[in-house]
Amino acid sequence: MEELLRHLAEAQQQITGYIYPNEIELHWGLVIVLYPFITGLVAGAFILASLERVFNVKEVQPTYRLSLLTALAFLLVAPLPLLAHLGHPERAFEIFLTPHLQSAMAMFGFVYAWYLTVVLLLEVWFDYRRDIVVWSRTYRGWRRVLYSILSLGVVSTSEESLKFDERAGRFITIVGIPSAFLLHGYVGFIFGSVKANPWWSSVLMPIVFLFSAIVSGIALVLLIYMVSSWLRKHPIDMPCLDKLGQFLFYALILDVSLELLDFVHRLYEAEESIDILAQMVQSRLFTSRVVVQALMGTVVPLVVLAVVRALKPRELVRKVAYFGTGILILVAIFFMRWNVVLGGQLFSKSLRGLTVYKIGLAGAEGAVTAGILTLLPFVILIVLVRLLPPWSGKSGVREVGQQTHSS
Amino acid sequence: MPSQVKRLILLFGIAAAALVLVRFLLVPDSFGRYGHYRADAVDEVAGMEIRYAGHLLCQECHDDVDAVKSGSMHEAVSCEACHGPGNEHAEDPFENRLSAPRGRRRCAYCHSYNPSRPTGFPQIEPDEHGGEEPCITCHNPHQPEPLVGIEDCEACHTEIAKTKSKSHHLSLHCTTCHATQERHPGAPREMRPDKPRTRSFCGQCHGEDASSPETIPRVDMATHGEDYLCWQCHYPHFPEGRR
Repeated sequence: MEELLRHLAEAQQQITGYIYPNEIELHWGLVIVLYPFITGLVAGAFILASLERVFNVKEVQPTYRLSLLTALAFLLVAPLPLLAHLGHPERAFEIFLTPHLQSAMAMFGFVYAWYLTVVLLLEVWFDYRRDIVVWSRTYRGWRRVLYSILSLGVVSTSEESLKFDERAGRFITIVGIPSAFLLHGYVGFIFGSVKANPWWSSVLMPIVFLFSAIVSGIALVLLIYMVSSWLRKHPIDMPCLDKLGQFLFYALILDVSLELLDFVHRLYEAEESIDILAQMVQSRLFTSRVVVQALMGTVVPLVVLAVVRALKPRELVRKVAYFGTGILILVAIFFMRWNVVLGGQLFSKSLRGLTVYKIGLAGAEGAVTAGILTLLPFVILIVLVRLLPPWSGKSGVREVGQQTHSS
Repeated sequence: MPSQVKRLILLFGIAAAALVLVRFLLVPDSFGRYGHYRADAVDEVAGMEIRYAGHLLCQECHDDVDAVKSGSMHEAVSCEACHGPGNEHAEDPFENRLSAPRGRRRCAYCHSYNPSRPTGFPQIEPDEHGGEEPCITCHNPHQPEPLVGIEDCEACHTEIAKTKSKSHHLSLHCTTCHATQERHPGAPREMRPDKPRTRSFCGQCHGEDASSPETIPRVDMATHGEDYLCWQCHYPHFPEGRR
């Protein structure tokens, strides 16, 4: 109690103007910032995977399976920030047992279950099924048992069954694209539909969230692909990297256009909240919104990617440029979520005052938890990559087979 | 049908059956009877210990206090809001006596200045109002006297008074612009003060031909913002700050 009071006393000294008593403390903190960030990465990574599968962009084929596994790893972690925030993880399953069809938040459970089981797991299964069958025959010990279970007993690798796998995977990807839009559009909808909050309430919010998700997903897969290639000491496929950079550039342009549209719309509407929102952006959110999100994370990557596309410098320069912009964009999209989630709670409903957000270190919603939740998808991804090597598709199977035979 | 599809149908079928089974085992029978909640919860809540008696029960014994309180500004404030839960007292009045707040803190819950309170609601700064005397020294909580006289506008309209105190309109009394009936303090919502309605009202001081002191800003009322009312651009309680 004493610690809480000390915390409130510290926060109170940084309040400006008039705020209501229940607005001193922010209810949604760092872990809720992570939630849309992670779901965005899932949706973005999946949409990147669909480029190869549905739109036949052959250049990005080396990242196809990596994108799927990345989406799966991050999707498994996506609900954890919510569970950490709510504090009663065992109650989460009640949304499935007693579904409330009119609650947007409860519907997330169904969107999540649909996306995880029907879209991602099925697509991964159909795509890897042949390899899993081969691995279940070539490996020994626990791996053999695991792959046998993962094959669900379907051991046929006939041409006919592989053709069906291909068709089924393609169909699921086609279903998956609107599902990915739904998954992240929903997150934007949750904020955009809070009509009492002028910082959130915008019909553009779901679409802005969606395009920023695509940008962040492409940037993440690009970075993971580059780092994993270096770690494996395999040459980076430059046509693939250039294509990723190209899509990153286009997606970023769309994302920036939508954000600018939202910005101009707010300015032109100039509702009664505009003064306090402007004050908030110029003070509390200046670093995160203007410096990090707008300048470092948007203008710099746009300029760098445009220069790379126009001048086509040598390979090393392009790699450095893609790597740097990837990191900048990921940081910027994280802070975009930060600005939305926290910004909506920093100003008073009286529109006459600003409160302050202080990150706690420990606790279920502290910085340590947020750090663990950020790292966890990468740990899961390492495990998934070990179990389901994505590197060279069907040649991966041959490599394993050769290794097994030679040993 | 391909074997993959058969196996997946089986898998999803098992998952669906497990969900139905878990739902059958875990969802309480009374869930959904009235709405999206457990109907038995209503009986459980109804079975909880009653702590408050309600003001109708208080009136049965304390009709003298009720007669004083009726018609006063505290008429709608329940007895137990100040005296605490009274069910035990109602059951055994002599064994379980209720307390009455004598300090300054309890009144300040409702009457300390807070910008979120409605305009017209009596508000004070507890540190500045009435020294350190208990509130009941001057105010009868069962019949708090309405504020008398328009000199005390600030007591209710603290926020406006604070804003005005920073502006050049500080020296203007509220009644210069707001014609106020004497009964307004006692019935603030029924007897509302008047407001200026024309540009010429402001022109009495700010028009070029006004007889006010020369230090007051002047405008040509015929050309300055001729299509607007003055207060569409200038906030009268703080004209230095533009809207």
